[in-house]
Amino acid sequence: MIPWINQRRRYLLPAFVLIITALLPLFLGFNQYYLTVLILMLVFIIYASAWNFLTFSGQGSLGHAAFFGLGGYFSALIAIKSGIPFIIAVFAGACITAGIGILIGMTCVRLREWFLAMVTFGFAVIIQTLVVISQLSDITGGWDGYAVPKLIPSSVTGSILVEYYCIFTMAVASLLFFHLLLKSKIGLALAAIRENEVEAKASGINPVPFKLFAFGISAFVTAIAGALEVSHFGYISPEIFGTDISFWPIIYSITGGLGTLAGPVIGTVVISLLWEGLNALGLTYERFIVIGVLLILTIIFLPKGLVSLPGRIRQRKQEKKARQVKEKTG
Amino acid sequence: MDINVEIIAQVIFWGLYTGCIYILLATGLNLIFGVMKIVNFAHGEFLMLGTYITFFLFVVSGFNPYILLCASIPVLIVIGVIVERLCFRPILGTGKLNEIFVSIGLIYVIQNLAARIWTDEWKTIQSPFRDITLDLGVINVPSDYLIIMSVTAILLIGLYVFLYHTWTGRAIRATSQDRSGAMLMGINVERMDMITFGIGAALAGAAGTLWAVSGQVFNPYMGSIPAIKAFAIIILGGLGSIPGAIAGGLAVGLVENGTAFTLGGAWKDAVSFILLIIVLIFRPTGLFGEECE
Repeated sequence: MIPWINQRRRYLLPAFVLIITALLPLFLGFNQYYLTVLILMLVFIIYASAWNFLTFSGQGSLGHAAFFGLGGYFSALIAIKSGIPFIIAVFAGACITAGIGILIGMTCVRLREWFLAMVTFGFAVIIQTLVVISQLSDITGGWDGYAVPKLIPSSVTGSILVEYYCIFTMAVASLLFFHLLLKSKIGLALAAIRENEVEAKASGINPVPFKLFAFGISAFVTAIAGALEVSHFGYISPEIFGTDISFWPIIYSITGGLGTLAGPVIGTVVISLLWEGLNALGLTYERFIVIGVLLILTIIFLPKGLVSLPGRIRQRKQEKKARQVKEKTG
Repeated sequence: MDINVEIIAQVIFWGLYTGCIYILLATGLNLIFGVMKIVNFAHGEFLMLGTYITFFLFVVSGFNPYILLCASIPVLIVIGVIVERLCFRPILGTGKLNEIFVSIGLIYVIQNLAARIWTDEWKTIQSPFRDITLDLGVINVPSDYLIIMSVTAILLIGLYVFLYHTWTGRAIRATSQDRSGAMLMGINVERMDMITFGIGAALAGAAGTLWAVSGQVFNPYMGSIPAIKAFAIIILGGLGSIPGAIAGGLAVGLVENGTAFTLGGAWKDAVSFILLIIVLIFRPTGLFGEECE
């Protein structure tokens, strides 16, 4: 038993976190407000992880709101027009968005960082324009948007609790999916491309399909997150394509730790709690300032994010100890 | 639709005027990119600060807003230098994307500081010359637009003289051509970074004053889209090339107004990105960008 646990020590913490999160509604007493905060947190964990996955291939997007919003629009339209349950429409919408993601990715594979950032940002603006123009507003509702069916119909008893566990399962599933993907050969290839594209080519990796694959997967998961978010609010409008929605996953991933699986999760939890806390204090503008400053400080002083904080502290302590020993002996 | 010379002339004229704002933004961004090889996505926030400083001083002092250029430019130089020292110098040369992420943080900080001070309502100021129009044969143009174009031209000429006929200007150009070479020649490249960033911010601040004077509305969140368009312009015109920025700025201003006129105002923002994406599909390094890597 003991060696078995020792071998799997690194899974202890995630397992512990999982159990706590699953039991959290019990501790919080099924409070509607807390559950809403938790649901949105889980949705953004999915979203930030999806954005973060794209950076594993060395591509940083500034326009993920395009996929987030398209996921919401497609799944809502499919659910309303065909009458199938929303949960199925979510995946159908995500598949279409993944296709669009690959198309956008095709224009991006040859571009350098800044250009890529600009093009992805541009696509978010273009898609927003397409949604609001008068020719399509019969379908999309124009600037007004339209009502979206709930993931779990409110006639179900304790619908918000069911919704919480439903989204919780999806968040765990997507994290597990990314974990397995990054451990596979595909993950290795993506890392090679990110570190040095020319060397990756030299060792027989064609970067194009891998980059497109990363774009498609990232768009797919982002679309799921978008659909879940709009169904939680029960409403969708073109504001979902705004720059804020594009920037949130970046802020979450970076404060948590870019290029790690735990980073987006920790970042989302910390920033959301901070956000809700400042909100409760009634600091409307100040909360943005606090988060902006936190982001800048993280990039300057903790480039690997909050994930690296325990390691940094341990290292400091060891250095201090070593110095003390040196002083005593020397 | 009844298209005649008058309307076309009007659209072109608006295009030129919009182009002026973009030129000032894009030239500043380009200078900064040339010297520091970073992209400051928060550049539009300097534009916004420029409009608010003009607004504040105009309300307090009641001076002619064009004179307030003398105030908004120095203030923005100071702000630019502070931002460079605190935010961009520590991350210089760390990661490829870090400057984009720092810019995002800056966008949030500056926008909401402004919103905290001036609230987030739309504001506008009235130029003293707003009733004077000039007859240019086919069209009547507001004199403000002509003044704005002349001010832009004067600023650009001033920048040219500074870059080509002063020691500091030459040092800036040297740094942007070859950073380590400039260092070996005894140029303090970090000071050049600071000066360039200050000038870039000042040009954006001047654009902000002109924006406010022209009677356009502004609020704390108005800066991001013009800045990102300015970046699209410098990609089109070639990274680091100032003539390219001027040509690109005018082109985007014209195309934008032309599209707003023919397809409707909703397309105004999207069209410059469509242009950018089409160009980048065929030339991944920009229209005049050199083939590197």
